[in-house]
Amino acid sequence: MCAPGAAFYMSTAGQLFAPPRRSLLAGLGSGYNRGIAILSGFTECCHQTTVFPMKINSIPCRFKWLPVLMWALVSGIAHAEDGLRVDFNRDIRPLLSNACFRCHGPDSNKRQAGLRLDQSQSAFAELESGARAIIPGDPVGSELVARISAADPDFRMPPAEHGEPLSAEQVERIRLWIEQGAEYQTHWSFIAPRRTALPFVKETSWPRNAIDFFVLAQLEAKGLPHADDADRQALIRRLAFDITGLPPTLEEVDAFVRDSSPAAYERLVEKYLASPAYGENMARSWLDLARYADTNGYQYDTERTHWVWRDWVIHAYNQNKPFDQFTIEQLAGDLISDATSDQILATGFNRNHGITIEGGVIDEEYRTEYVMDRLITTGTVWLGLTVGCARCHDHKYDPISQQEFYQLYAYFNLVPERGQSGFQPSLQAVSPLAARKIAALATTIEELHNSLAVAKEDDLKLEEWASALANGSFTWRVQTPVTATSSGGTTITPLEDNSLLASGANPQNDIYEIQFTTPESAITAVRIECLTHPSLPGNGPGRYQNSNFVLTGFLLEASSIADPSQKTNVTFREARADYNQKNYEVRLALSSDKNKGWAVDGPTRKKPATAIFVAEKPFGFQAGTTLKVILRHEVSFGQHGIGRPRISISSAAPARLSFQDIDAAIVDAAKLKPGDRTAEQHQVLRTYYLDNHGPAKQIAAEIARLEKQRSASFPATMIMRDQENIRTTHILNRGQYNQPAAQVFAGTPQVLPPMPDDLPKNRLGLAQWLMSPAHPLTARVAINRYWQQFFGNGLVKTSEDFGNQGARASHPGLLEWLAVELASSQWDVKNMVRLIVTSATYRQTSHAGRENYRKDPENLLLGRGPRMRLAAEQVRDNALAISGLLVNALGGTSVYPYQPKGIWMELNNRPGFSKEYPQGSGKDLYRRSLYTFWKRTVPSPMLKTLDAPEREFCTLKRSQTNTPLQSLLLLNGPQFVEAARHMAVRVLNRYPHDQQKRLAYAFRLATGRHPDATELVILAEAFDEQREEFEQQNGLADSLLAVGDSPPDTIHDKLQLATWTTLCRLLMNLDETITKG
Amino acid sequence: MKTFLQESGLLENRRQFFSRTSTGIGIAALSSLLSAEQATKNKDGLPELPHFAPKAKRVIYLLQSGAPSQVDLFDHKPSLEKLHMQELPAEIRDGQRLTGMTAGQKAFPIINSPFKFNQHGQSGMWLSDLLPHLGGVADELCLINSMYTEAINHDPAITFFQSGHQQPGRPSLGSWLSYGLGSETENLPSFVVMLTKNNFNQAQPIYDRLWGSGFLPSKYQGVKLRSQGDPVLYLSDPGRLGARSRRKLLNSLEQLNALREQEIGDPEINTRIAQYEMAYRMQTSVPELARITDEPQSTFALYGEAAKQPGTHAYNCLMARRLSERGVRFIQVFHRGWDHHSNCAGNLPNLTRETDQGSAALIADLKQRDMLKDTLVIWGGEFGRTVYAQGNPASFGRDHHPRSFSIWMAGGGVQGGLTYGKTDDYCYNIVENPVHVHDFHATILHCMGIDHERLTHRFQGRDYRLTDVHGKVVEAILS
Repeated sequence: MCAPGAAFYMSTAGQLFAPPRRSLLAGLGSGYNRGIAILSGFTECCHQTTVFPMKINSIPCRFKWLPVLMWALVSGIAHAEDGLRVDFNRDIRPLLSNACFRCHGPDSNKRQAGLRLDQSQSAFAELESGARAIIPGDPVGSELVARISAADPDFRMPPAEHGEPLSAEQVERIRLWIEQGAEYQTHWSFIAPRRTALPFVKETSWPRNAIDFFVLAQLEAKGLPHADDADRQALIRRLAFDITGLPPTLEEVDAFVRDSSPAAYERLVEKYLASPAYGENMARSWLDLARYADTNGYQYDTERTHWVWRDWVIHAYNQNKPFDQFTIEQLAGDLISDATSDQILATGFNRNHGITIEGGVIDEEYRTEYVMDRLITTGTVWLGLTVGCARCHDHKYDPISQQEFYQLYAYFNLVPERGQSGFQPSLQAVSPLAARKIAALATTIEELHNSLAVAKEDDLKLEEWASALANGSFTWRVQTPVTATSSGGTTITPLEDNSLLASGANPQNDIYEIQFTTPESAITAVRIECLTHPSLPGNGPGRYQNSNFVLTGFLLEASSIADPSQKTNVTFREARADYNQKNYEVRLALSSDKNKGWAVDGPTRKKPATAIFVAEKPFGFQAGTTLKVILRHEVSFGQHGIGRPRISISSAAPARLSFQDIDAAIVDAAKLKPGDRTAEQHQVLRTYYLDNHGPAKQIAAEIARLEKQRSASFPATMIMRDQENIRTTHILNRGQYNQPAAQVFAGTPQVLPPMPDDLPKNRLGLAQWLMSPAHPLTARVAINRYWQQFFGNGLVKTSEDFGNQGARASHPGLLEWLAVELASSQWDVKNMVRLIVTSATYRQTSHAGRENYRKDPENLLLGRGPRMRLAAEQVRDNALAISGLLVNALGGTSVYPYQPKGIWMELNNRPGFSKEYPQGSGKDLYRRSLYTFWKRTVPSPMLKTLDAPEREFCTLKRSQTNTPLQSLLLLNGPQFVEAARHMAVRVLNRYPHDQQKRLAYAFRLATGRHPDATELVILAEAFDEQREEFEQQNGLADSLLAVGDSPPDTIHDKLQLATWTTLCRLLMNLDETITKG
Repeated sequence: MKTFLQESGLLENRRQFFSRTSTGIGIAALSSLLSAEQATKNKDGLPELPHFAPKAKRVIYLLQSGAPSQVDLFDHKPSLEKLHMQELPAEIRDGQRLTGMTAGQKAFPIINSPFKFNQHGQSGMWLSDLLPHLGGVADELCLINSMYTEAINHDPAITFFQSGHQQPGRPSLGSWLSYGLGSETENLPSFVVMLTKNNFNQAQPIYDRLWGSGFLPSKYQGVKLRSQGDPVLYLSDPGRLGARSRRKLLNSLEQLNALREQEIGDPEINTRIAQYEMAYRMQTSVPELARITDEPQSTFALYGEAAKQPGTHAYNCLMARRLSERGVRFIQVFHRGWDHHSNCAGNLPNLTRETDQGSAALIADLKQRDMLKDTLVIWGGEFGRTVYAQGNPASFGRDHHPRSFSIWMAGGGVQGGLTYGKTDDYCYNIVENPVHVHDFHATILHCMGIDHERLTHRFQGRDYRLTDVHGKVVEAILS
């Protein structure tokens, strides 16, 4: 059963070693165990001994295996094409990397005794001691062998504090390698992939495409069977989830089961690939890599608007944008010549990092972190290397020096950005998903504008309106300021609308004095409108950098124009505002406390705000009044002035006062008979009527609504931009922002192919270099990650690490083949997905039996179909889909589905920065989970419980856990309980009379397959049991049916519906329902 | 009227059905399968742990977010009396990095603590009069006055304390312990987090990541025990199904899932069945845990009446004791409001009133239950506060001070009645026995029977640990 080569080793090694069994196990258990997990069972012999790490103890005694044989088997050395040679990359490098490289590897600072074992030159050279670590062909003379096999712990390597000694098997492996000439090889992933020949397989009828040859060859080599094809119900469900993230409809299942044509499956694949849901599902994984979120992460974790970039990703997948363009645009779209707005938008990828707004931070410290984050993310996503390890020192395991790290850093270091509140540069770009909608909107708006012109002249009902207005008698009169001064040196400029714009210096404390005159003598109230302006921070109402203001005092002095010595300090009985920040209510502006006042949540609410101050009694003087309004801004944290105040007064009775009203001049005109009005008065009245009350009003409102809709598609999205010579890049000592050392220039690591001379020496060049055909990593890393999406593990299990410490590929030939295919297919991602899902490997059943799961728990040998719990988003989307609640709309602002009350504010309730979770309503509760608002410091508990990451940093692979909290969520989460109710209605509507059909239908909705007789029995009994409970307990049904915002059903019998809802809850909790199998 | 079952000939009690079929499994078999599963699940720590006999079985960490003033609470400095209102000498400040808040300040006048200090217990430990209750348990305390950190702002500093790294992404202390040691209870999560309700406007925010699992599997993250709504998210059924129907529902679910496991063979299905059982148990054990009305009046005499109010520090201290009794491995309470950039003298007494009695009561309570010997209690913030005034010296505040601050521990593994480490006369620099955050972590792990250098997790090719490549156990404070 063993290949002849292995037998040979057994006899050779047998003469050398007769180690106790314990050391054999130690060798397997330590550094090499990852290799074993992946490579185990490469031969038939291994199959018999099941060499998984945790099963080691169960090796039957009758196998008196010798260590080398063990290694030969687990490492697959018996493969004919490998001959009898020890292979450096496969057999030696992982050993040396793990045991030796820390002190004898790439890191020049920590290197001991001048010895470097990752390169032959140093390893073969004479050491300071005079010895030579490795003398090719002469293990006895090689110091390395002496040291690793020494009995004396003081002499032995690695030193005790750096880990366990090497096992006898490992020592022997190294000895043999040296004996055979100690041939070094470049690390496999640094050599460009080459198209490998398809391996020979015996069962030639099984493979459907190239993938299957590689998988089957390995299974056959071990004498392991592949699994049968999955049945059609299971296959379509697996495919639908893998491609669209949603379950198939039962109509799709039935059609597929019925369709006996040979191309039925391929047609299905094409259908799903063409669905917009494909882009949403693929984007989900990409957003994890890109650390996409809707908030800034640090400190108060304030909001950002970055969803337009998220839409770009969905659109790019749906367009099947080739992976090279997908890459270049995201890394450097801004540098492409004549870049489109879409291409610049794509660079939002590297602005997804957290951004701090914490007051006391040092700007450069955080800016440095942002650049680091960009580089580390880019390194992980495209190079599959842990470049971040070289931030503080040369990489311990991989050939990336600290200098090379900062050469890469230089590419990302030219953005004109700040550390504190570094939200620039940004761009207002249209969501690519909304492009068509935007165009349609524009047409509608244009048509409305045309009809508006006509409607604007329609004044038939003017007089009817005027007389209604005349009888109303209420108004605000906007006042024209005569003088306006600032105590702190702020420049105050009157604008045409009589508002006053503050600009220039922004002093710590500031008192505005605004004077105006009025003929009125019985003034009842003063209004201050705090308007926004593009020149104010964040286009908000306040002057502070976060757009807020604090009005700490409001005072008013009235004096007679005729006799200025007559003066009153007006007292106010009441202050009202249309918006108050918590703990900063407008009444506080009337208190004498300088630290209390009126504020309006500027950081989160960039809108105008209006306050009204109602006098104790009417004031003013006959023959005219001069009014002096004093606005005090004296809060201790400073610089919180109002940005653009406008003052109005009113003589209306206090009860009639409202915040916004018609200008007095219009009301005056309305009070006159048509013939008594001056032409000017008539014009004012007519214009106001036409603008606000005539038929044009509705059209104008509609235009405004559509304009708003249009502009809502354009929030500024952060983007990348390079500024010439903005800053030089230095190596940072220990990675510290404030310890710059030697200057470096943009460049790529030496171990990788050089960047061609014709590429620009900037991010664009870097992106193009990544996508160049010679690049050994990009295609491998990308296809490995796509593979992981379908099978749970990549062919290289450490999808984040292709370096020396990473795992070797479980199917090296397959990885090579796929990498070459990806690059040579013009980076066609859909093509790769198609290849994977049409393979026989993918189409296997996952019903493989306990023994198969026990032997290969992670399915690394791919001898069965993939079976995994659905991703967090898919679990929720599935519940919405099978209940019929799912709202399938593509892209747009993030939404706020159900969330338990209080979980935002319990972590962070700082006034002005924090807010309650603004739970959505209506359709927003039922959108796909991809669109759920992603708050980094408090992620959606629905998604987080199901292993979604925080998105604080790039995540390549989510955990797959199975916890009681997940059970509680699925059992009790209102989203799921409500979905069960809708699923129940769906079932009852479908089969009004036939209980058995209902049971079968409900089961099918949840699982996509027909239940068997046993399952039907269990369900029927469960139904009867639950029905009994509802019958016995009054009101129980009502509380269940009230869960969720959607209106209650009024058609079905309550008990019936409640029982069915419970049954549907049961079905939604089935392992099968939340599993892709 | 015939039911459809009668019509279809399937009328058979499903229990009979299961007991008769050879392929189906009976309830007895199912329950034994579950308990076997639980047995492995609940010991899911690393097999090689603990590395040595632990002194502590569990940790209660009362984290004081915002950074309490060691000058006014713990680090007694009679020398400040004379230095009061004098300028802090430049050589003492010695190039110390300042926050953006006082970097522009022109003068740095030293402010002596306006609060008196007194000695307590047989050990004669100096404590501020703001901490009268703590004084009563002084002989249990191991007070470290020589803590230091590198972080100077709240977010990185608290992230550092929680995960050993200033930037987000690493597993928290509690998740390392859960990962390493597994759970002691089948009814509750092994790592529980509680937040006290925040009453202070200027309090620093906290984040889910502070109890996150980083690159460890997400099941090791802390579970929030809330004082509003469900104590554990989604614990109660919004449909208010009764206990009996819930049990029946779960039985049906288990049977269907078990059938599937038979058919497919995936052991993950058994794990899922076990998780539903634990969820079911939590629906009983968590409300029972939260039912403090079963505590005698003596408990509230000890913890204070505030302990009756969910969401207070005292309540959370009491809950911490109840969680300890029930086998929870790591309990963390977050209290906020210590960030006193202004009006230190006015604000501090409010905060000590909120925290002093509860934390002292917790120690006394554990002691009287003979649990203090294997419970490690920790109290402290993310850095200290400056001896010099921020803003107006009359209404002084204190800025962030990472160079020296105080933390106390008590119970399993550490010496009581010990004051460890010393700062200079200015309460500014450590002059004796500095303890870094990494040392602090190493020491906690040590008390739990863990060699901090050997609790590692391979991620991105590197073996990560809580203490990075640093940390020394502070042997001198161990019992």
